[in-house]
Amino acid sequence: MTAAPKLRTSAAADPPGDARAITVAVAGNPNSGKSTLINAIAGTRLQVGNWPGVTVEKKEASFEHAGRHIRLVDLPGTYSLSPYSQEEIVARDYLAHERPDVIVNVVDATNLERNLYLTVQLLELGIPVVMALNIHDEAEAKGYRIDVRRIEERLGIRVVPTSATKKKGLEQLLEAMVGTALARGARKPVDLSYGPDLDAAVRDVARELVARHPQLVDRYPLRWLALKVLEDDERVSAETSLDRDAFAAATLEHLRTAHGEDLEALLAEARYALAAGLAREVLQKPELQKIELTERIDRIVLNRFLGIPIFLATMWIVFKLTFDLSSPFGEWIQGMTSGPFKRWAATLLGGVGAPGWTVSLVNDGIISGVGFVLVFVPVIFAMMFFITLLEGSGYMARAAFVMDKAMHAVGLHGKSFIPMVLGFGCNVPGVYATRTLENQRDKVLTALLVPLMSCGARLPVYVVFVGAFFPQNPGTVIWSLYVIGIVLALVMGVVFKRTLFRGDAPAFIMELPPYRMPSFRSLCLHTWEKGKHFLTKAGTYILAVSVIVWFLLHLPWGVESKKDSYLGKAGQVMAPALAPLGFGTWEAASSLITGVIAKEIVVGTMGEIYAPAPEHAEEAPTLGEDLKEIVTSFGAAVGESVGNVVSTVGISSLSFEEKEDHSALKGALRGAFTPLTAFGFMVFVLLYMPCVVVAIAMRQEFGGWKWFGVAFAYQTALAWVAALLVHEGGRLLGLGG
Amino acid sequence: MNTNLARLAVGETGRITAIGSTGAMKRRLMDMGLLPGAEVLVEKVAPLGDPIEVRVRSYYLSLRKKEAEGIMVEVKS
Ligand SMILES: Nc1nc2c(ncn2[C@@H]2O[C@H](COP(=O)(O)OP(=O)(O)O)[C@@H](O)[C@H]2O)c(=O)[nH]1
Repeated sequence: MTAAPKLRTSAAADPPGDARAITVAVAGNPNSGKSTLINAIAGTRLQVGNWPGVTVEKKEASFEHAGRHIRLVDLPGTYSLSPYSQEEIVARDYLAHERPDVIVNVVDATNLERNLYLTVQLLELGIPVVMALNIHDEAEAKGYRIDVRRIEERLGIRVVPTSATKKKGLEQLLEAMVGTALARGARKPVDLSYGPDLDAAVRDVARELVARHPQLVDRYPLRWLALKVLEDDERVSAETSLDRDAFAAATLEHLRTAHGEDLEALLAEARYALAAGLAREVLQKPELQKIELTERIDRIVLNRFLGIPIFLATMWIVFKLTFDLSSPFGEWIQGMTSGPFKRWAATLLGGVGAPGWTVSLVNDGIISGVGFVLVFVPVIFAMMFFITLLEGSGYMARAAFVMDKAMHAVGLHGKSFIPMVLGFGCNVPGVYATRTLENQRDKVLTALLVPLMSCGARLPVYVVFVGAFFPQNPGTVIWSLYVIGIVLALVMGVVFKRTLFRGDAPAFIMELPPYRMPSFRSLCLHTWEKGKHFLTKAGTYILAVSVIVWFLLHLPWGVESKKDSYLGKAGQVMAPALAPLGFGTWEAASSLITGVIAKEIVVGTMGEIYAPAPEHAEEAPTLGEDLKEIVTSFGAAVGESVGNVVSTVGISSLSFEEKEDHSALKGALRGAFTPLTAFGFMVFVLLYMPCVVVAIAMRQEFGGWKWFGVAFAYQTALAWVAALLVHEGGRLLGLGG
Repeated sequence: MNTNLARLAVGETGRITAIGSTGAMKRRLMDMGLLPGAEVLVEKVAPLGDPIEVRVRSYYLSLRKKEAEGIMVEVKS
C-alpha cells in the first residue's frame, strides 16, 4: 500500500503533564442539545470565558472520573468545519492544533443526516471520536429505530445513546470517553471512502506532502491537510502558503475533467453522500409518520395573519416578566446596601477611629458603587433566563423568521428585534442579548442602536422636566421622546449600513429547530454562568467610576459650593459647547457628566446643584460637618436614583408618577430653562453617551473599547445635533428661546 | 421545468441542479445540505413575504429570497 496517511497520535503532539489527564473536546451542531449535555455532565464546574482573540464563548470544566482527571472543552456549536464563521474557525483550529485526546460528537438522533455531515468532517482529523447519540428519547418516541452497532462498525467509533434532559446515558458516555482516550492508537476511526477518484487524490496529495513538506506534516493531521489542500481551503492556504496546483497535477487534472472545476463542492457532496447513505442504512422510520408537533405549532405561530400578533404578544410577556420579576429583588438589594450596609460600615469605621471622610468614601463611593452593580444582577439574570428559554425552546428562530424582513430593511437581522425591545427596559440586557445573533456584524450593529431605545433610567429625568414645563400633557411629551429614539435608530441603522458596515449583509440561512422543552436545571445553570460573569467583570469598572464621580463632587476638600468642586469646574469647561443648544450653563453640564454612571443620576445631581437643602447654605460648617452633610445628601441622592432605576424599569411605572417631591428642583429649573430648552435637554439626555454599564457590556461582548468608542462618539454627536435642531427649529417657529 | 428556489410556490418540491452563489455564501448553503441533487420542499413564506421556510434533508431551514434566487432547481411534479 502506498503511503497511507499516517496519523499522529495526540500523545506525540502534546504530552499531557499528568499521565492520567484526558482532554475531551465536545463538538456538535447547534440545537443538538450540546449545552444541556455538558451542563448535565459538568454542572457548576463549568468555567465560562472567551476563546483567545475572538468573542466566541468558551466553556471548560475539569473534574475527576474513575480516577482520571478529565478536562472538558466545549467547542462552539457548528454545522461544519468550514473556514468562514468565527465559530467554525475556533472549533477547527482547536481540533487541528491542540489535538484533544478524544472528541465527543453530540448528534441529534432525530436529525441524523445533517448531523452526520459534521461527524464525517470530525473523522477526517484522525482524532478518536465518541458519538453521543443525543435526544434519543425523542427519536424513540417518534418510532425511529437506530442501529447503534451499525454506526459503530461503519465509523470505527463508539456510539452511546443519550438523553441529556433526562440525564440518561451519561455514565456510559463518560466510560466510553475514558476508554477511547486510553485505547489511543488501538481504536482508530475508519478513513471513510469518498469514492475512488477522491480517495486516490487524497493519497497522492498526502504522499507529496510527506515527501516535500515534512514540517507541515508535524503541524497538521495528514489526511485532514490533504483534504484541505484539495478543497483549496482559504485558511490552510494562508497558513501554509501551499499552492494547490503545484500538487499532484495529474490527479487534479483527472478530478477536474471527471467532476468539474469546483473541488470544494465535490468534497461537500461526497461528505453529504456518506452522511445520507449512513443515515439511510442505520435509521428506520415508522411507515406512518404522525404530523409532528413542531409542524402543528408552526402552522399557528408562523401563520400569515397570526405570526406577527403572536410574536408581539410574546415580546410583551417576556419584557414584562423580565423587568417586573427582577425589580423587587433589585429594590431589596438596594435597600440592603443603602441602609444597613452603610450603617455598619460607618459604625465599624467610627469604632476604629477612622476619619469622617473615609466613612463617606466607603459608603458613598464604594458601597454605593457595589450596590449599583448588584442592582443590575436581578435584571441580567431574568433577561438571561428568558432569552435562553426562547432560544432553547426553538421560538427564537421563529421570531427572527417573522421579523426579518422589517429588520433587514434597516440593515439588521430578524434576531435584532429582541435586544432592541429589551433596551426599553434597560440598555444593558439589550446589549447582552445581542449574543443570540450569529454574525459579528449583526451583533455590533444591533448593540450600537440599542442605546437609542429610551431606557427606564431616562424616565426620571423626563418626569421632572415634564412636571416643571409640560404639566398639561406629560404623556404626549414623554412618548414623543420614545418615538424620537426609535426613529433615530431606524435612521442610524440605514446610515451605518451605508458607512461603517458597507458591503453585503451576512446571509440569513437559519435552521428552524424542532420545538423542545428546555431543562430547568440547564436554564438555571446557564443563567447563573452569565450572571456571575457580569458580576465579576462589570463590578470592578462600575465601582471605579462611582468612586471617581464621588471624588469629583467632593474635591477639593471642604469645597464650599458645588461650582468650585472639580465637577463644577468640569461643567464650566464644557458649558460653552452646550451654549448653542440653549442650556450652556455649568449646572446643566455638570449634571450631564454624572449621567455617565446612569442617566437618572442626572436628576440627583441637579437636585444638589439647583436646589441644595436649605441648611446647607445657612451653616458655616467645619470640615467634619460638611463631609457629614455631603455624606447624607449624596447618599440620599444616590439611593433615590438607584431606587428610580429599579422601579422605573417596570412597565407599570410608565405611568409617570413621581416617587419623590421635586418641587424645589422644579422651581429652580423653571428659572434656568424655557420649555423649549427643557425639551432640547431631554432630547440630549435621551441620546448622549451610553452609561458606563452599557460601555462594559459592549466591551465584554465585543472585546476592547472600540465599539463603545464608536457608540460614544456617534451618540454624543447625534445628541448635540438633535438638540440644536430642537432649539433652532423651535425658535424659527417662534416658540421662544 | 427549471427555475430558482425563490420562484417555487408553497407546497412545491424542487431538485437542486446548481448553486449559483460563490464563496462563503455558497459554502454555507452547501454545509446546510443544499447541494445539487438534494430535494427541497417550500413549506412557508414569512408573514411579511420574506424569508421563506424550506424542508431539506428532513429538517427545516429558512433563508431569504435573495439567497434562494441563487439556487437553481428542477420542479418536481
Ligand atoms: N427530548 C430531549 N430534548 C433535549 C435533549 N437534549 C437537549 N434537549 C433540548 O433541546 C433543546 C436545545 O438544547 P441545547 O442544549 O440548548 O442545544 P445546543 O444548541 O446544542 O447547545 C433544549 O430545549 C433542550 O432542552 C434530549 O436528550 N432529549
